[in-house]
Amino acid sequence: MTDIHTLAGAYVLDAVDDIERASFDRHLRECAACRTEVDELQETAARLADATWSVPPPRLRENVLAEVARTRQLPPVAAPPVASPRRRAPRRWLLSAAASVVVAAAAAGTAVYVVQDQRVRDERAIAEAARSSEARVREILAAPDVQVREAAVTGGGRVTVASSRLHDAGVVVMAADSAPGGGQVYQLWTIRAGSDPKSEGALRVGQTATLSVVEGLPGASDVAVTVEPAGGSLQPTTTPVAQVPL
Amino acid sequence: MVEERSAKRRLTAVPSAAPPDVGDLLGSVARGDEDAFGKLYDLVAPRVFGLVRRVLRDPAQAEEVAQEVLVEVWRMAARFDPARGSASSWILTIAHRRAVDRVRSEQAATSRSIVVGVAAVETPYDAVADEVQGRLERQQVRRCLEDLTELQKQAVTLAYYQGHSYPRVAELLGAPLPTIKTRMRDGLIRLRDCLTTEVTA
Repeated sequence: MTDIHTLAGAYVLDAVDDIERASFDRHLRECAACRTEVDELQETAARLADATWSVPPPRLRENVLAEVARTRQLPPVAAPPVASPRRRAPRRWLLSAAASVVVAAAAAGTAVYVVQDQRVRDERAIAEAARSSEARVREILAAPDVQVREAAVTGGGRVTVASSRLHDAGVVVMAADSAPGGGQVYQLWTIRAGSDPKSEGALRVGQTATLSVVEGLPGASDVAVTVEPAGGSLQPTTTPVAQVPL
Repeated sequence: MVEERSAKRRLTAVPSAAPPDVGDLLGSVARGDEDAFGKLYDLVAPRVFGLVRRVLRDPAQAEEVAQEVLVEVWRMAARFDPARGSASSWILTIAHRRAVDRVRSEQAATSRSIVVGVAAVETPYDAVADEVQGRLERQQVRRCLEDLTELQKQAVTLAYYQGHSYPRVAELLGAPLPTIKTRMRDGLIRLRDCLTTEVTA
């Protein structure tokens, strides 16, 4: 989390100028933890309005309703491909398997970006992973001390790591633009001082994206990704294509 | 309507017949339902008007801005995303931003100095406001504000209720900018924690 993160309170209170607002909005699109925090604090700030309750003059109602009758409504914002069939329905009541990915992703912020960028064949892989660990993922992402870090993957794509000491766990989201060729796969590792890298799982041949919960992650110094033969290796055999220092 | 409500009023915090939910109404409004908008108006207008009036401190201007806000709610209803927060919060966020925009452009235009003083303007207590739930909510917010440190409370309320920017708040309170930014954030976090624990109490 960068320095701009401290602006969250001022942003929510509308105490920033237009330039700061724009740069913070940009920051929010990339910072999962900040987005969760801002949504919560926005909710809190709105409660401050409870103390201001004041009944408007009756003519306001007439004026507003008259203007509404001649005002055209805007259409919904074009929804991301994953969510489009549910655009107009109240999403939270339709927590189907696919929707749970969207929920996990919405909480993650950066993962939204990741999921939207996936090719269709990877959606199922992400859905499976997200479903199996959704509760844990949510818990970690909602932690007050969650830290989010990212690194680029050589050849395109990114690895995002959200880690919480409170839960002694982290969420690793990887989305590469392309899979390694020649029957090779991506494999995730955690690196700890004084011991060998520990495998956190190998992807399948052709798989470019994964979302996994790593218990004990805050004890590690780095998350790394290497290209290994199908099935994975016991120890990394190549130079990492991505490395996220924690 | 005032009489109708008073007659139905009960001495319980939670009415037995659930009142229409702001989120549900906003959903209908998003589909162009004008009747639902009327009901939504009745539920949220006192808070929208109260907030805008608190920030602007001028009833005539407040009425104008509140009208803009409420029409904006109608126009933008389909863009509300329940995954990011409650419908009330979405509406009040629009209201607050509009009010602050107005007060800032006024300040820029006239460069008149703003009277300092938290809660200097007390909203008149209206008959409709005498609604058990509303009263409880107001008390809760006030109680939770008292729970903040003095600097946190001043930083949050000067920004929220008076529409000051954080550099201006820093100036008014004679505190360094980074301190004010931090107090706004940790003040809100404390407020959030206080409001959430009290829900169950």
